[in-house]
Amino acid sequence: MSQIQERGSTHVYKVNRISKEEIDSMAELCVYEQPPFCNAACPLKLDTRAFLKAAAAGDFKKALQLYEKIAPFPLILSRGCEAPCEAKCRLCELGDGVAIRAVEAAVARFGQQSKLGGIFRTKKKKNVAILGSGLFPLFLAGELEKKAYPITVFCEQEDLAAFLRCEAGFLDEEAFALELKRLKGKDIQFVFSCEFTRGFLEEKRGAFDVLCASESVAKRLFPEAAPVPELMYYEEEKLVSGPARGVMEAAFGAKKAALTVDRLAQNLDPRNTRGQEGPVGSRLYTDLSEAKELRRISGSGADYTPEEAAAEAGRCIQCHCEECLKSCAYLQHYKKHPGLLAREIYNNTQIIMGDHQLNKPMNACSLCGQCSVVCPNGFDMAHVCHLARQNMVSTDKMPLAPHEFALLDMLFSNNEAFLCRPQPGFERCRYVFFPGCQAAAIAPDTVRAAYEDLCARLEGGVALLLGCCGAIGDWAGRCEMEQQTREFLDRELAKLGDPIVIAGCPSCRKELSTHEGLRITGIWDVLLEIGLPAGGHGLDRPAALHDSCGARGEKQTQAAIRAIAAQLGCELVDTPYSGDRAPCCGYGGLAAYANREVAAEMTEKCLERSDAPYISYCMACRDRFARQGRESRHILELVYGTDAGDPPDISEKRKNRLALKYALQRELWGEEAMEKKLDYPLAFTPEARQMMDERMILTEDVIAVIEDFRESGEAIRDEDGLLVARRRVGNATFWVKFACEGEGFLIHRAWSHRMKVVKREG
Amino acid sequence: MAAEKNYYTIDPQGKLSCVKCGVPLIKGKAKFMYLDNGFPVELPVCPVCGFVYVPEELALGKVASVERALEDK
Repeated sequence: MSQIQERGSTHVYKVNRISKEEIDSMAELCVYEQPPFCNAACPLKLDTRAFLKAAAAGDFKKALQLYEKIAPFPLILSRGCEAPCEAKCRLCELGDGVAIRAVEAAVARFGQQSKLGGIFRTKKKKNVAILGSGLFPLFLAGELEKKAYPITVFCEQEDLAAFLRCEAGFLDEEAFALELKRLKGKDIQFVFSCEFTRGFLEEKRGAFDVLCASESVAKRLFPEAAPVPELMYYEEEKLVSGPARGVMEAAFGAKKAALTVDRLAQNLDPRNTRGQEGPVGSRLYTDLSEAKELRRISGSGADYTPEEAAAEAGRCIQCHCEECLKSCAYLQHYKKHPGLLAREIYNNTQIIMGDHQLNKPMNACSLCGQCSVVCPNGFDMAHVCHLARQNMVSTDKMPLAPHEFALLDMLFSNNEAFLCRPQPGFERCRYVFFPGCQAAAIAPDTVRAAYEDLCARLEGGVALLLGCCGAIGDWAGRCEMEQQTREFLDRELAKLGDPIVIAGCPSCRKELSTHEGLRITGIWDVLLEIGLPAGGHGLDRPAALHDSCGARGEKQTQAAIRAIAAQLGCELVDTPYSGDRAPCCGYGGLAAYANREVAAEMTEKCLERSDAPYISYCMACRDRFARQGRESRHILELVYGTDAGDPPDISEKRKNRLALKYALQRELWGEEAMEKKLDYPLAFTPEARQMMDERMILTEDVIAVIEDFRESGEAIRDEDGLLVARRRVGNATFWVKFACEGEGFLIHRAWSHRMKVVKREG
Repeated sequence: MAAEKNYYTIDPQGKLSCVKCGVPLIKGKAKFMYLDNGFPVELPVCPVCGFVYVPEELALGKVASVERALEDK
């Protein structure tokens, strides 16, 4: 039996197949983290989506909390805001955008104010003075109070009500009273009836770390000076102030000024580390198909009641892009959007010492590429995971365990189970039939029927090649193994006279089409051209057609299968996610070997699309659906009137391949070929069979242990009187618990581990 | 001198015997090795031929979880 070298754990290699720039540009395609358009348009960066969600749920307290993050005085802002968000609402494209400002006004009025936490907060050591009155000083005081600066406002008015009145005179009495109460509740010192002169300013400069002023006070004191508007700062005069006309500009100006104060208080340049300020663009994709309420709620009065506001907020469609997450069981399992997962998987490849915690997610992707079709930007998670696997292999950090069984299976297909023969009577052939390893493993009778049909009806000779296309090596990220398979197959095909390959499996077709100069077609295309053989028939009830992920982007293949199904009299039911958008059954990318749990979810995801029987054109899909108890048929079974029956276990899959090979060798090519027979009886309890299938232990592994026992007599007897023997095969030690029955053996249990165990001296 | 550290100990308690040597297994010193790492353990061992027994529960439990952890290093 072939063996694959296990990696060491302490070697460090520096081969990199994936660059940070490459992964960054790929991750950039994912728009999941892009802001919704309303939020992007807001200079104050209100989390509009969350705000409207809370308001729609009637949770005005939470909505107000969110709103207060950008508005220290919510009633003032919601009255005077110009609402640039509303124009950007995606619902505007279908009808009326959400009346966000009106909802804000209702939330500001009816929302229960959360308890002020200012009293117990540790105040900053640097203090700030604000000179003057108006919207800008008011908002700035509010912003700085949130940042826990000790603030003193010096104003010309004689009391707080007069101070607020001159700034928010447009509020009605009720709103005014509320905002006055809010202002009184804030930890801001006021000094009234001040007269602003240069002397006053200089005097305060000595007592405060940062000085701020309203635009009118700044202009009065420094008529010649000009501020830097983006910083809201008079640099020469060391005074925080700037132009702020209207509620919106004042609020945005206060935000910028508060950041400038922050930087100045720390003796840092106010120009640096400011982040992104003001409105931005967004690349978010939004599926508008589910938008229902397209007309704005008309209020019973001038303002919304709480119920009306909640109803209006409920019209928000909560713009977000989850196109890939909706359809992909893998992304759903890890609950991560691909932009984030791609970065994490890339980081996983860069770890030299330490845990590679993303190995499992990296190996769980089926590499089916569905995301690249459903994503509006074509994000291809398969490409990321595939590159990452190759990278891990090339740096010798990839564990062998998740893929070893499949890789050994590939080697088995191209060694013991391999067969390449020209059609009897031909030396060189025009065609070669390449059914694929899973077809021979799962439906050997169908493979034989198809081959004999092609031989009978095609001119120029049809060779047969039973083997693996190399996709397994490719999926495992093992480029060398894939390359060796490629060269091996090319040599075999050359011996046949470089015939046209007739692939029986879309994934083989995809893999083989990467061979230089190789001509390839699918058996479905050939059958459509020469006509279906007699004896085939469709199912007697409607069935769902599951498109193979190997045929993604192959419109001709998808159409050919549908045409064959129609000719067979199949009635096909429509399913979501068909054609190019079809999900993987869980076999692709070796997901079924590396992560059974996720693979099972993938199969479930395929099956939840319809209750009907499934017709597929990839044998792995047929097998996985049948294993889940669904009536499942491969299109070639229907074409040739064969029935592969119940799905075989892992040992039967090997046995089927060998039996097909030997039978064809004997019956078509007259060769002497027989399966090796044991010269002693070997039986298994049903429990042992099931256990072996679950634990990926082959009959031949058990035979290896028994033969070792027969030779060495080494075993232990347990308390039940059963014997337990073991043998190291490749990178694993297999243990078998059995009873001797005359000449033969009855296998009760089997288990394995990869660690080597030895006796320790001393 | 401090006692030598063993990561895992199983005492056969006379319930297991070596078929070849016809003697009961005893608690003996053994070592698991995987990916350049070694772990001293005490497992049922034949005192004559040195056959080391790894019970099913140990193989599927502790051994499997340590294998996973080492594979991801």
